[in-house]
Amino acid sequence: MRLPWKRTAREAGPQTSEFERLALPLLPSLYNIAFWLSRNATDAEDLVQETFLKALRGFASFEPGSNFKGWIFRILRNTYLTSRTGLAATRTVALEDELNESGESGPAQLPEAAIDWQTPETNLLQMADRGALQAAMATLPPPLLEVILLCDVEEMKYREISATLEIPIGTVMSRIARARAALRTALEAQQGSSRGLAHDRSSL
Amino acid sequence: MTDHLSNAILNALADGELSLDQLASANEHLAACTSCTSKALYQTLLKSATTKAGQRYALPPQLQDRLIRLASQANTEPQAPRFRAAPISPSRSVWSSLGWATAAVLLLVTVSMIFVQRAAHKAEIASSEEAALVTEVFDQHVATLAGNMPLQVVSTDRHTVKPWFQGKIPFSFNLPQGLPSDMTLDGANLTYLRNQPVAQLLYSIGKHRVSVFLRRRSGHAEVDESLTERSGFHVMAFNTNDLDAVAVSDVDPARLAELVSSIKHAQTGDQKQSK
Repeated sequence: MRLPWKRTAREAGPQTSEFERLALPLLPSLYNIAFWLSRNATDAEDLVQETFLKALRGFASFEPGSNFKGWIFRILRNTYLTSRTGLAATRTVALEDELNESGESGPAQLPEAAIDWQTPETNLLQMADRGALQAAMATLPPPLLEVILLCDVEEMKYREISATLEIPIGTVMSRIARARAALRTALEAQQGSSRGLAHDRSSL
Repeated sequence: MTDHLSNAILNALADGELSLDQLASANEHLAACTSCTSKALYQTLLKSATTKAGQRYALPPQLQDRLIRLASQANTEPQAPRFRAAPISPSRSVWSSLGWATAAVLLLVTVSMIFVQRAAHKAEIASSEEAALVTEVFDQHVATLAGNMPLQVVSTDRHTVKPWFQGKIPFSFNLPQGLPSDMTLDGANLTYLRNQPVAQLLYSIGKHRVSVFLRRRSGHAEVDESLTERSGFHVMAFNTNDLDAVAVSDVDPARLAELVSSIKHAQTGDQKQSK
């Protein structure tokens, strides 16, 4: 896959100060994503630093005016995939990424009858609990977590996510659907256990 | 009523990814379908909540400082070598280059450390050898003065002193002529420094005695002609093409340097031919 920021021949690279101007504002986002993916502070710091240095050294390959954020996030993601935690994650995760003909993400799609749609008010209360949602996000496998982070936290468009992760847009959509379905399931499970605890307490 | 909206459409709706046509069609359906409206609301709320919950980890200030420092260092260093022009993946290129760069840096650091350690070791050895030599020279000079022993060759005539060493030392040397009136040759001794035969020349500068030790040169390194002090005595080393020399005295350093310069220049040029 050929990305828009790739160059076939090297030209004189921009100055490091230009790199700093573009990269430094993204450090908080890079660290946040790195922490989510690596799940600990030490690995996150290593991941961000390695990404930063790789990007700095490879800045000559960046096409001025193209999507720097997508470029550096892609370096972060590839660095993560070759890291210890990333390799461990890829060994344990297998996904059916392709959308089925009806546009649904097949295996993860719950039967309509099985979905206990809650009222919007209940959902709102549940989702207002940031800790519960963060716990649910932490259970997502990396391919789903990264796509939901890029989409919802970094507010990237599907096209940007597709270029950053080097996957088709259809796969992006599929993973987003899977991720949200998984979050919903996890939140419902949490709510179910809370209800159970409340019921147990009330029956004592 | 049209068919219910798919999950893909509901997610795209929440993410603002629907085309105008798709959006119009979805809105038309939502206006008549409470089930899909509920789902769409859920997805929107979930997205909003995920956006907030996902912003969880704050960048440590020390990491930011470190990275800024690294970038600044890179800014002051010469521009890094260019990557190869082959259209490979940027990440692979960066990864590969970083790997090679890391290996090269490690190799460079290792080799540098070996050289630094060797250089330090050599410097340490040279320093200790120099200190030992200064001690030996100082002791010999003091012993010559304190013992009040007669010199092995007593003469103010350089044409007497120089030939006296023939057959006694495996090298030859020249003695300066035209020294200042208060700077006289008193004689010489055959002695040993570091187990090598050495010519010890005795001079007087006023009432101060000077020992100049000459030996065959070893090695190619130029000696540091700076002055060393030891117990009120001054020690000055120098060398010529063939000789290593050390002078020691309690005379004024400038006068000692004057004598040293005369002896040094006597080893070359017309003076040598005149002997």
